[in-house]
Amino acid sequence: MQRRGKIYGAVGILLFCAVLDVAADIPPPSVSEVGKSAKEPFCPPERPAEWRDAQKIDGVEIQEERVCLPDNPYAVAAFVKGTNNVSMPTLMKTRLAADSIIKRNDRDGDGDPDEIIIKLEVAELNGASPDTTEPVHTFAIAPGIRPAFWVFAPKVRGMATKDEHSTEANPLLRVPSPVIRVEQGDTVRIVLENTHYFPHTIHLHGVDHPFVDAKGEGNDGVPQTSEGFILPGGKRVYEITPRQPGTMIYHCHVQTHTHLAMGLIGMFVVEENRPDNWVQTFNVGAGKVRHPSRAVLERYDQEYDLQYQAVDKELHEIVQSSNDPRVIARRMNREYDLTDATEDYFLLNGRSFPYTLRESLIVVEPDQNVKLRMLNAQGELLAVHTHGHKATITHYDGIEVNPAAQITRDIFDMAPAQRLDLKLTTTNDGLHNYGPGIWVFHDHVERGITTDGMNPGGNISAIVYKSYLGADDVPKLQGIDLSRYFDTAFYRRQMPVWQDIDEWDSLGDPDARQAEAAESADGETRKRSPLRHLLLGLLLGFLAYILFTNRERGRELFCQYVLGRK
Amino acid sequence: MIRILAWILLWLPVAALPGHRMDMDSMVMNENPTRLPQGCAEIAGDRTITVRAGRKYAKPFPGVVFAYDRQSWEVAPCTRLTVRFINEDHIRHQFMVHGLPPDLYPMGMFTIEVSGPGEETASFILPPYKKTYLVHCDIAQHTEHGMKAQLKVAGGDGDLASLPGLTKPVRPDRYPSRWTGRSLLLLALALFAGMALIWLGRWLIRAMTEDRP
Repeated sequence: MQRRGKIYGAVGILLFCAVLDVAADIPPPSVSEVGKSAKEPFCPPERPAEWRDAQKIDGVEIQEERVCLPDNPYAVAAFVKGTNNVSMPTLMKTRLAADSIIKRNDRDGDGDPDEIIIKLEVAELNGASPDTTEPVHTFAIAPGIRPAFWVFAPKVRGMATKDEHSTEANPLLRVPSPVIRVEQGDTVRIVLENTHYFPHTIHLHGVDHPFVDAKGEGNDGVPQTSEGFILPGGKRVYEITPRQPGTMIYHCHVQTHTHLAMGLIGMFVVEENRPDNWVQTFNVGAGKVRHPSRAVLERYDQEYDLQYQAVDKELHEIVQSSNDPRVIARRMNREYDLTDATEDYFLLNGRSFPYTLRESLIVVEPDQNVKLRMLNAQGELLAVHTHGHKATITHYDGIEVNPAAQITRDIFDMAPAQRLDLKLTTTNDGLHNYGPGIWVFHDHVERGITTDGMNPGGNISAIVYKSYLGADDVPKLQGIDLSRYFDTAFYRRQMPVWQDIDEWDSLGDPDARQAEAAESADGETRKRSPLRHLLLGLLLGFLAYILFTNRERGRELFCQYVLGRK
Repeated sequence: MIRILAWILLWLPVAALPGHRMDMDSMVMNENPTRLPQGCAEIAGDRTITVRAGRKYAKPFPGVVFAYDRQSWEVAPCTRLTVRFINEDHIRHQFMVHGLPPDLYPMGMFTIEVSGPGEETASFILPPYKKTYLVHCDIAQHTEHGMKAQLKVAGGDGDLASLPGLTKPVRPDRYPSRWTGRSLLLLALALFAGMALIWLGRWLIRAMTEDRP
């Protein structure tokens, strides 16, 4: 028994000494250069620069869009005229199917079509594959961050990828689900062709629609009360003639708590009726409306759609965890518990900072009126703050506020699914605007400006005055170099937020190797491998064991030679 | 009449593209019934296959959502293959072949896409080499969920992975355990067996180290 106690004691001391040895070996603070991987350019040369210019295609006036990644103007022309009316060369410069948007029958003779057929498919982005461990049909929300999404998408043709060599999704397949625009009084048929592996429906939230269609079939999109599921491979036509204009929503109403969060939600705008009013049926990726309606142009110079949404990465990982839809259904419908969920990524028009700066800038000039339509598609409250501007709330949930009661403020709080229409005025009067500049706008619920807790991230974007746009339409930023944020290492937490803040990187990461190099007296780096630590620890532990087993003799020697007693 | 003329003029550019056809119901890309691939002296023969696509063809394969009615075809080199592609769903499906010579087939592809219930037919000539070509539907998640097949020329140079009912996936799924009465009984038996083994081991060690009188 006594022997066993000695052994336990010795082993304990040995381990303790080994730990002590390692702990004692941590060098004093020095800095390291970590996470310096390949950076992405601010403005990748993905799209022709001339796409940004104001232009006329097939008779459609298209406003300029001065951002790095503008919308394809040929697609905008097809969205305005319909894929059945646009010229074939224009249609071939898009990836749209020939029957994607049908516009016909000017019933009232006012110069625009009144019968609209819109075809939607359901696409999965960053999904799983039985052939690779990497996601397929990729769509990055920020450098290196690719959560899985489900989105409604315009009916396209050909490959779902950018090209035959890429796994990147076709540019029409992206987050958020596209904004849909129709004209008040039009007869609109929305055809959902379910190309996905789960059942889905469409609920037209806030849009004037009958409970049943002309055939008596359900038209509200709720499987429990209105109609059955649209199964994979199936389709359903939703028929509406909206009598009231406004900013509304469409979303899937199957397992809404998860399908909506997965991305099956978009804005549905009913524009006021005007003569010769060809509206831009889709605004893919939201953002700038390059062909605003007649009614909007009567009062505004520009129009932007801003969709805020958030991602709980645990939910979105479920889709990437399996190829078998039964397994995904089990994990998503029964094992995932939304009441325990927290949102991790925060998106504006499908991207997080810094990618928002490539395509979701609001580019203005002084003395303009800009219409902003905002949707909170997150699960929690949103409080958007505009630097340098106070905007006026003109509509709540698509309904105009009494002009005498409209309020002007710099925080716009929105409950989930709520919409606000704002009038942003760029007149430098100290109230509406404080002058030209690069003024950020972002959620002031602070988690919204992070990407999984890393700041800056989330839904930060900016109102940029044209005089502050530099070469290649990159804002002339006056602060720190943003290139660090275009690096996957930053959002993987591998890079100090304040790396290279000064000449000697005083707030960088402490690093053992640099410390050893700096502290070596002869300038040579001492080799300290884990094996060396282990051997040193073992040696110290062995000495401790000798001391412990000979403690009586040790005490005698200590008393004799140190204390001078016998 | 004017409308019909305008329609013809609008679609004329597509008709002018070699091997390319498109209308509201279907699309064909890189059709090639006449030009011979390098190495083919002549068309070795004509063959027609009928390919049906739809959700119902996934029924025999648990966990699969969309499928073709067959997952593998074999043809002789330099065959002119005519594909009659029938879509039985209310969504788009494709018969897309990859890996063809890019000088004859831009991007190395031959594609038939049918927009909904309906069919389309088109032909192409296969090269002389022994090769297995990927056939799939390139709509997001259709390949991944079963609409994948192979076309073997001269016996092919192997089998592709994750063909429903034919080959295993590269990344197989892991399924949750299903606890039944039998599996619980087996678990209990295994626990007892493990305990018995430990007891036996200790008994053996003790027997070997014990001092004998």
